[in-house]
Amino acid sequence: MAQKKRSSRWRVWHRWLSLIFGVQMVVWALSGAYMVFFDLDYIHGDHLVQDISQPLPEHTHIASLDELFATYPETRSVSLETRWLDNTLQTVYKLETAKGSLLVNAESLRLIELNEQHIKALANRYYAPEQANIESVVYMTDNPPTEISEKLLPVWQVNYDDFGNTSLYLSETTGDLLVKRHNFWRGFDIAWMLHIMDYEERVDIETWWLKGFIIGTFILMVTGIVLLVYAISFKRTPAGGSQ
Amino acid sequence: MRFMQWLHRWVSLILVVQVVLWLISGFFFALTGHQGMSGHQYMVPQKTFTELRKVAAKVDFEEIKQWFPNAHSVELVSVAGVGQYQVTLPDDVIYIDANTGDYWSTDEALATRLALLSYSGPGSVESVERVTGSNEVNGWTDPGFRINMADDLNTRIYVDMASAQVVEHRNTPWTIADWAFRLHFMDYSGGRSFNHLLIWSAGLLALWFSLSGLILLGRNLINGDFNPGRKKTWLEQFQQQGHPVASSCGGGGTCGLCKVTLKGDNLPEPNDSETALLNRDELNAGVRLSCQHKVSTAYSVELADKAVSDTRLTLVNKRQLTPSIVELTFTSPGNLTYHAGQFMQFRIPHLNEVLIRHYSMATRPDLNKLVFNVRQMTSPQEGVPPGVGSNYLCHLEVGANVDATGPFGDFQLTEQNNNTQVFIGGGAGIAPLRSLIQAEQAKQQPRHSVFFYGARNEDELCYRDEFEAYDGVAYTPVLSETTKADGWSGKTGFIHEAALAWLANENLNAVDVYVCGPPPMLKATLKALTDIGINRSRIRFDDFGI
Repeated sequence: MAQKKRSSRWRVWHRWLSLIFGVQMVVWALSGAYMVFFDLDYIHGDHLVQDISQPLPEHTHIASLDELFATYPETRSVSLETRWLDNTLQTVYKLETAKGSLLVNAESLRLIELNEQHIKALANRYYAPEQANIESVVYMTDNPPTEISEKLLPVWQVNYDDFGNTSLYLSETTGDLLVKRHNFWRGFDIAWMLHIMDYEERVDIETWWLKGFIIGTFILMVTGIVLLVYAISFKRTPAGGSQ
Repeated sequence: MRFMQWLHRWVSLILVVQVVLWLISGFFFALTGHQGMSGHQYMVPQKTFTELRKVAAKVDFEEIKQWFPNAHSVELVSVAGVGQYQVTLPDDVIYIDANTGDYWSTDEALATRLALLSYSGPGSVESVERVTGSNEVNGWTDPGFRINMADDLNTRIYVDMASAQVVEHRNTPWTIADWAFRLHFMDYSGGRSFNHLLIWSAGLLALWFSLSGLILLGRNLINGDFNPGRKKTWLEQFQQQGHPVASSCGGGGTCGLCKVTLKGDNLPEPNDSETALLNRDELNAGVRLSCQHKVSTAYSVELADKAVSDTRLTLVNKRQLTPSIVELTFTSPGNLTYHAGQFMQFRIPHLNEVLIRHYSMATRPDLNKLVFNVRQMTSPQEGVPPGVGSNYLCHLEVGANVDATGPFGDFQLTEQNNNTQVFIGGGAGIAPLRSLIQAEQAKQQPRHSVFFYGARNEDELCYRDEFEAYDGVAYTPVLSETTKADGWSGKTGFIHEAALAWLANENLNAVDVYVCGPPPMLKATLKALTDIGINRSRIRFDDFGI
């Protein structure tokens, strides 16, 4: 009968362990299911934006490299592209310098400074859904929301009044779309936080309590397996008879 | 709740391997961290610090623009001091040498130089290979180079030929991490996708599994199972006090082994587990599962096997009953009381372990001796050892001891009624049947009994004289390996067929049937009895196979 006595010990252990680790297992299963069931492209918000690049206009007289370097000698890389500004498709040079990026008119080499109207118009071009209702535009230089990296500052935040409360983040200097966020991304971020158990920065996957919970869950699972073995091997009818 | 238990148990059975894999890979992630898994331990960010004016590109933007009129953008960068145009077309990106205007091409020397520029580790170049994509770099299928570094991490650096870009750094920790990702995401293609059918299914199961566990946990909380000062269940009380109560699920209410009988006026109502595992007669008689009720003074509790104890039996007589069956008679130091049809658990020492074998008592309850029938299992073929338990017992000398626990079993006579008692047995299954028949015949008014007994041949008909001598027992031996030609005038064939032929003319509501015998016989008989419509509650059987 000794073996049979043990079975109730295992059950008591299974209960107590599940009180602590089983609850986290539910959290893992829920957050894992969220991350698994929503397509990653959807989470990234790929459906919310479109490519707005255009072929370079043919008959523009663009400044030569020599002229460019004479005005902006610290340029480390330069990109010739187009930008919609004031309802006109302009040819621009986008420069990377030691001090950051710059946007200049490719013909006059004049520096382009983007204002709120420019940003709104650009954001609406990036925004893919048909109804583009901007709720608010925020220029942020510090204290970014948790959904973006501090490295992106300063940045324009354009918020839409739509199904997922979309926010597009555009570069202050170049008007490029940097990141896009919507409620399902924010949900994913919470699921990720719960999954890795870093409730502050949501990046640290090496915390001691995460490791502890994994080990605890492992023990919980071992007790469950033992109970499972008992359950499968039991016989309702006590064995009897003679051989 | 029973459904929740069922769900929790079966889903766990399916899911257990994947949960182990999730835990192991998750633990690996937690140990290693992002940086350790990235393959980028020795990788420096690729930032160009060269000012473009020093690169002195010979080809200007205007020319590129004319060559590629459909370009969406053109970028000029410095690749190790040489200008390179990256031309983005509607569906492609091409790379042009800013000095020659030709397509950019990276040779081995440049690739190696770029690789070293991106590398901060202690190693030196070991070898350089031409490759076309790599299964280590998901999505990269273009021609390029693999630069193998001689370092502690076994670093290899992939450089794209057309663009001269350092595509990736890979190393041994990365390879291990990649396998952990395969396990965690269940994506064995190496694509590290966690949106696919396999993991959707596993995710759904995991959800069911953990939520059913949560619901069960909630029930435990409501029941006060976590209260340190809570009242114990009867099962826990009995187990702590060392009373013999069988239980394999340990209080889950799923195995139905911990039966007790409650006596009193105010018995607790049976719950779901009990209505599922106990029959109506038992419930009406006050039988409950001791794990489902807290200790209470409102009623008294009687253990089903209150007479169970450990005992050391001494062999006092041994005789060969038939060519294959030996009759062993033991005495027990204390007076062991048992019901007809019950069995003892023998502990057979074998090598370094103890084997458990069950044998039923072969006589009606007798305070002075315990009689068992043991079929000596011969070896089925040369090289296969004969039955360990039966051979041990059959070779015991008179005076020898063996340890046993018991009695156990609910293969017992029905309550008094006017039914015909039908016993069907085969081989050594005769033991509990003989005990039952003797007990019935010893009553003041024995019920009419019918006994069908199957054996191979006439020599195997043990206790034949005894059964033929009873007035109240219609004894029908049936032989399976004997024909009329052997001089046998009785019945031949399968035992259940003979029993069935007799039952065909009986009132099936007025019989109690007891079955014991080898597994195939038991199975065939039980099926035949069910097929002709005998109510399950009228059939009692002893599982002979264990």
